[in-house]
Amino acid sequence: MSAVRTAAPIDVADASGRVGPPTRRLIVIGVAGGVLSGLLGVGGGVLMVPALVLWAKLDQRTAHATSLAAIVPIGIAGIVTYGAAGQIALPETLVLLAGSMVGARLGAGALTRIDERLLKGLFGLFLVAVAISMAVG
Amino acid sequence: MSAGLVVATIAFGLFTGIGSGLLGVGGGVFMVPFLVLAAGLGQHQAQATSLAVVVPTAIVATVVLHRAGVTDTRRALGMGAIGAAGAVAGVLLALALPASTLRVIFAVFLGVVGLRLVYDAVRMGPSAPDRHA
Repeated sequence: MSAVRTAAPIDVADASGRVGPPTRRLIVIGVAGGVLSGLLGVGGGVLMVPALVLWAKLDQRTAHATSLAAIVPIGIAGIVTYGAAGQIALPETLVLLAGSMVGARLGAGALTRIDERLLKGLFGLFLVAVAISMAVG
Repeated sequence: MSAGLVVATIAFGLFTGIGSGLLGVGGGVFMVPFLVLAAGLGQHQAQATSLAVVVPTAIVATVVLHRAGVTDTRRALGMGAIGAAGAVAGVLLALALPASTLRVIFAVFLGVVGLRLVYDAVRMGPSAPDRHA
């Protein structure tokens, strides 16, 4: 991120007098993230975090936390709507949850010991390969 | 689910948890392809199931971050509440599309995410201490 020069945060006082990122931008980002989440079954953070950093001028950590919190109501709406259409596979859900809860804790521990650049590069290539698999299969 | 698939799924859940924590890319991005390609779910089902896993994980993470005072949680939840309308629209659109079309859209999205990760990696200098921490 050092090559990107970010402007000073846009401080705007809203109706309650609270200063912070412009509400209108948060709403646009939230709705865009919501549509992506519902359409593709992902959290939406992959769009919201960069948008919050680059457009709403949040710092990386705040953007990440904001995105995660926003994903909660967004994801719940998605679950209810998909669920009403009978699309949720419960056994797979439970098994994945068990694994990912443990995985998240392990991930936090592994943070310091892995070359982030190498990891990003390899994961990126892996995802592209999976994407091709999905498109062609 | 067969025993083999259960084991594979747990292992995959581990992989997803680690990966999303390290890369800042959410679990859903990994889970949908896994569910479609390995677990044999339909595209819509895979997406719905992915969300069912993402939300509890997001709740746990949000509670932790809220206690750490990282962001204005109430404001973020409000942003999400409005975003929820977009989510409903997104789901309805997905349900209106055939699985094959949705799968291609997902594949394009996944390719873009993957390419962005590669681009980030190439642009990064020698490995810096993790900035997510």
